[in-house]
Amino acid sequence: MQNFINEFTLNFIEKNRYQYIIEGFVNTLIISLFAVLVGIVIGFLVAIIRSSHDKTGRMKAGNFICRIYLTVMRGTPTMIQLLIIYYVIFATVNIPKVFVAVVAFGLNSGAYVAEIVRSGIMSVDEGQFEAGRSLGLNYRQTMQFIVMPQAFKNVLPALGNEFIVLLKETSISGYIGLTDLTHGGDIIRGITFSAFMPLVAVALIYLLLVTGLSWCVNKLERRLRVNER
Amino acid sequence: MSGNVLLEVKDLRKDFGDHSVLQGISTQICQGEVVAIIGPSGCGKSTFLRSLNLLETPTGGSVIFEGKEITAPGTDVNKIRQKIGMVFQQFNLFANLTIEDNITLAPVKLGLMDKEQAQKRAKELLGRVGLPDKADAYPAMLSGGQKQRIAIARSLAMNPDVMLFDEPTSALDPEMVGEVLELMKELAADGMTMVVVTHEMGFAREVATRVMFIDEGVICEENTPQEFFEHPRNQRLQDFLSKVL
Repeated sequence: MQNFINEFTLNFIEKNRYQYIIEGFVNTLIISLFAVLVGIVIGFLVAIIRSSHDKTGRMKAGNFICRIYLTVMRGTPTMIQLLIIYYVIFATVNIPKVFVAVVAFGLNSGAYVAEIVRSGIMSVDEGQFEAGRSLGLNYRQTMQFIVMPQAFKNVLPALGNEFIVLLKETSISGYIGLTDLTHGGDIIRGITFSAFMPLVAVALIYLLLVTGLSWCVNKLERRLRVNER
Repeated sequence: MSGNVLLEVKDLRKDFGDHSVLQGISTQICQGEVVAIIGPSGCGKSTFLRSLNLLETPTGGSVIFEGKEITAPGTDVNKIRQKIGMVFQQFNLFANLTIEDNITLAPVKLGLMDKEQAQKRAKELLGRVGLPDKADAYPAMLSGGQKQRIAIARSLAMNPDVMLFDEPTSALDPEMVGEVLELMKELAADGMTMVVVTHEMGFAREVATRVMFIDEGVICEENTPQEFFEHPRNQRLQDFLSKVL
């Protein structure tokens, strides 16, 4: 027990080393939150373009660009994308690393969100769409008021899962020298040469974050399910 | 036939790839008529009905609604569809909306009524279809017969000039068929122009003003119900009736 307290003091209390964890925690939160937002915006846009193309045959160019984007984003490792965006694309401009990470993870997540949302749109019965159109609603109104709300409800569990993956994937941010939660813990390990305390602490914080996120998604899911009673 | 010509169909054709479903259908539907369409499954009767509001795009021929050729390029299909109600076999109530919102969505979003008017109208219609207490329910909570009556109410909320029914009772449990047919009978009695694809021979005989037999993509026979059922002339119709009656 005394040993545990000593370890704890060494890793977190001495020289205020807990601040590495705090800084990392804040950065991880910021990156995850904004990357999720970027991912949702890109994902819904791409999904709408792709499914509109499938349904109406229009937007051929848009569909083509989206497919290239999906192929590249899903076909290469996230870490390589992060490194390319930092060391190649933003090599000559001086912008905050957190911003670079948001762009990289947002672009990456957008690809997965897009395919999840598209599967949701396809899962809504064609009859719902036809009923909307038969009343005189146009394509956009039918999608907006009838198809998309149902699609969103159908894919919410999969979206929640994607956000959990995204949150944990931000742990590679250290590769561009950014102090995220993982990197913060690792800095402490480098200083104190003790692995257990900082790594387990970091793992526990991720676990808490993911648990909280799951809880929120579950709550939203339950609220959206009122029409199934 | 009575009244003005509401819908005119000229040599309507529809191909799905190599398969020709409609092979030149021509007919007229007048105001106040109730036209029942019967025929073996896969004969093209649903495709014909769905061509009337362009849910299927015909590959040939024309549909003229209230004097306007709606199959002509550049037609505002959405505007036309506001005046042509449709009731589906699978009801297709909007699963994400309450019954009241199902009925008010289109009139409100299309700017035909404000929210308050639409809600008032929805209340009237719910009373008319015998479900005044279901305004706040969701479609999943209703029986098939109730869903179909709501679907009819939703269609009526647009004040359509004609209503298309695509096998409205085929997906219902037998004990619920009656309530839907009863409602349709009332509509017919109120003078609604109706085109009904159906397997309910009783309904066709009692309510329709004209019965149409479609087989292999053409109208084989159309006549008043009495003539149609008692003195069928077409050989295929005779065979068909001997199987279903």
